[in-house]
Amino acid sequence: MGTTVAARQVFRWTVRASSSSLLSPPLTSRCLLQPRPGLFCSTSSRSPMQSSQHNHPVSPVSETPVTELSPQSLADMGFTGTQAEQMLETASKARGGRAARHALSTLTALLALGLNPSSVLKLLQKCPEVCSVKESQLQQRVGNLRKLGLVEGSLQRVVAHYPQILTVPVKTVKHVVVLLREKCLFTAPQVTDILRESPAIVLGDLAQVEFLFQYVYFRMGVKQAEIIKSRLFRYSLDEVRCRHCFLERRGLYQTPDKKGQTIIINPKLDSILNVDQMTFLTAVAKASVEEYDVFQRLVAKEWLEEEKEQGSINVDATYSEEEEDEEEETGGRSGYIKTRKRTI
Amino acid sequence: MALLMDTRLLLRKVKDLRSLTPRRHRVKEKWATTRAKCPASSLALQYFDANYSAHLGELWPSVRVALLSERKYGALLNNFSHEDVLADLQARGCRDFINDTDTEAQPCSEEKSETCLEEESNNLPVKKPDIDDQLLSPLKLSPNIKCVVFPRGDLTRFKPARPDMERLLGYYLMDAASVLPCLALDVQEGHNVLDLCAAPGGKALTLLQTQAIRFLCVNDSTASRTTRLRKVLHSYLPKHFFTEKNLRITTFDGTKWGEIERNTFDRVLVDVPCTTDRHSLIEDDNNIFNKIRTGERRKLPQLQLELLLAGIQAACLGGEIMYSTCTLSPIQNLSVVEQAVHLARENHGISVEVVDLRPLTHMFRKTFHFAPDLHLGEMVIPHLAANFGPIYMCKLRRLT
Repeated sequence: MGTTVAARQVFRWTVRASSSSLLSPPLTSRCLLQPRPGLFCSTSSRSPMQSSQHNHPVSPVSETPVTELSPQSLADMGFTGTQAEQMLETASKARGGRAARHALSTLTALLALGLNPSSVLKLLQKCPEVCSVKESQLQQRVGNLRKLGLVEGSLQRVVAHYPQILTVPVKTVKHVVVLLREKCLFTAPQVTDILRESPAIVLGDLAQVEFLFQYVYFRMGVKQAEIIKSRLFRYSLDEVRCRHCFLERRGLYQTPDKKGQTIIINPKLDSILNVDQMTFLTAVAKASVEEYDVFQRLVAKEWLEEEKEQGSINVDATYSEEEEDEEEETGGRSGYIKTRKRTI
Repeated sequence: MALLMDTRLLLRKVKDLRSLTPRRHRVKEKWATTRAKCPASSLALQYFDANYSAHLGELWPSVRVALLSERKYGALLNNFSHEDVLADLQARGCRDFINDTDTEAQPCSEEKSETCLEEESNNLPVKKPDIDDQLLSPLKLSPNIKCVVFPRGDLTRFKPARPDMERLLGYYLMDAASVLPCLALDVQEGHNVLDLCAAPGGKALTLLQTQAIRFLCVNDSTASRTTRLRKVLHSYLPKHFFTEKNLRITTFDGTKWGEIERNTFDRVLVDVPCTTDRHSLIEDDNNIFNKIRTGERRKLPQLQLELLLAGIQAACLGGEIMYSTCTLSPIQNLSVVEQAVHLARENHGISVEVVDLRPLTHMFRKTFHFAPDLHLGEMVIPHLAANFGPIYMCKLRRLT
C-alpha cells in the first residue's frame, strides 16, 4: 500500500514539476525547478516580469500594465517594500507565465478573504502554486469550503495553515467528503471538523484514507466521535498501525468483541496518537525506546512480506492477516460487510 | 469366560490397528475451509495472559510482544564440516557469543585466570577480584561449541546452510538459547552422555560438537521423531560416527530408563516435552492447546517429572543431570524439579544437589535476557532486541 501511494505521489510531483518547468524562467537563480529545453516556453509575456524583478522596487517600472504584478500594485494592496520583493520572488517560483497574468487578481481574492498581507505572503511562500490558481477557481473553491461548514475564522485559519487546500479542485474535495460521509458515516459537522483539523486529507489517496478508517474502526474498535477527537487523519497508516500493534502485542490493547466489550480498558486513541514517542512509550506502552525501535523495523518487514504475498491491491484482506490477536477476526470482517450493505 | 476375555482383548487390538493416526492429526488446518472459531493459538495466548502476568509481573508485556514477533536464530557451527563457515558468517556481521573475548568474560580455567580477572577489572573496575574468582571458577563449559548470532537489535536472517563437498551442512539454525543447557552440562573428555528426549536433534548435535564424548545415547519416544533425529544427525555428522561404539539411537519410552540402564551415564540431558510456548502461539497445527489435547496437556507435568526421575536414576554417582524446557510456566519448570528432588530421595534413596548456574547467566548477560529472582534454575526470557528463548534450565548433581 505504502509503495503505491508513494508511487502515485511521485507521479503527481513529476507531472507538476515537468509542466511547471516548461514554463519557468531559466534566468532566476533562485528558481528551484530545473529548466528543460522548452518547446512551449513563452518568453513574450515574461519580459515585464523580468524587468520588474531586476528593478529596484522603489523606482517604478515604465509601461507596466495594471493587471501585472508590480511593486507599485503590491504597495497599493498594502504590502510593505520587503514584502513586495519577497512576493515577486515567490510568484516567479510558480508557473511563470500564468502567475504574472492573474497573480494580482488571486492576491486580491485572498486579501478579500480577510487575510492580512503578511499572512498572504507566508501562505504563498508555503505554497507558491496558489499563485497559479485562477481567481474564479479560487472563489469556487472557497465557496465550496464555506458550504462544507468552514465559516469565517476557521476558513481563514485553514487556508493560512494549509494553503494547498486551495490548489485542490472542487471535485476532489467532493470525493473526499462523499467518502467520509457515506462510507465512513461521519456527520456533516464531523466532516467539517476533519477538514479543519486535518486538511491534508484532501490531497491524500482515497483508498488509504478509507483503509485507515477501517483499521481504526474495526481493528481498534474506535467509533467516529473518538476519531474526530483524536484527529486521526493527521497521521499516516503506518504510524497508527505501528503504535497499535505494539500495544496489542504487549497485551495493552484489545479489539472489542461483537458486543463491543473488552477484558481490559483500552487506552484512548487520543492518548496513543497525539503524544510524542517518549510520552507514548513511558505512559501508555510502558516500554523502552530500544524495544519500540526494534519493533518498528520488525513490523515494517512483516508488512512488506504480507504485501508481497497478497499483492497490494486487496485492501480488505490484508488487515485480517495480521499476527496473533485474541479478537474474532471473522466477527470484525462481517461487521464491516454489514455496514457496506447498509449504506448501499 | 476365557473366550470373552480373548475377544475383548482382540477388539482392543483391532481398535488400535484402526486408528493409524492419533486423533489430533485427523483434522488438519491446511485442509479446513474455514478458520476455527477459537484457534488453538488464541487459547494458548489467553492461557499465558492469565498465568504469566502473575508470574513475570512487569516483564510480561515485553515477553509477550517478543513471543508474538519473529524469533531470532543462532547458527550452531558444524565442526565436522571442512568449510570455513565462521569467517563467512562473521563477514556478514555475526559473532560467536560463546567465545567472544571482547564483550563477555571468559570461563576461568587455571591458565586463563589471570587474563580473565584483568578483563573483568577492565569492564567493571569496582568489582573485587576475589569475588570474581569465587563466582567464576566453579563454572566449566562444554568445550568446542561455537554458535554465532547477529548483534542485538539486528533483524537479519540467516541463509539456509548449504552442503559442502562431503554433503555435510556447515551450520544448524536453532534458537541460540538452546545451546546454553548443553554448554552448562559441561561434557568432559571420555564421558558417556544420554539425551532422553533428543528429537529433533539440535541439542544432541550441540553435544556432539564438543568431540569429547565417548558414547552418546540419543532417544525419543516415537518412531517419527527418531527418524527426524536420524536425518538431522546424518546431515551433519560424517559416516564414521555412526558406529555402535560412538552413537546409539533408540526409540524407547524415556520414563522407563531407570529400569533399563541405572547408574550408567556421566551426563544426562533431559529436554522434556512441554507446551513449547513460542510454537503454541504461532502454529495452529499440532498445537497442544487444542481442545482435543487438553488431557495430554494436563498430564505434562507428571510426564516431565517421570522423565527427570528416570534421568536421575540413569546418571552415575557424581554424574550431572540437566533439566530443560522451552516454556515459562513455573508448573512445568520449578515445581517439576522440586518434586523430582524430593521423590528421588523418598522413593529411590538418591540425593541430588542443585548446581548454581548464576556464573553462566552472568557470563551471557549481554546476549540473553535472564529472568531475575528465580529461586531454582535459570530462565532465558524473550525480549524484542534479543528474541531468544524461552528456555528454562536447571542442573542437578547426583550425590549418592
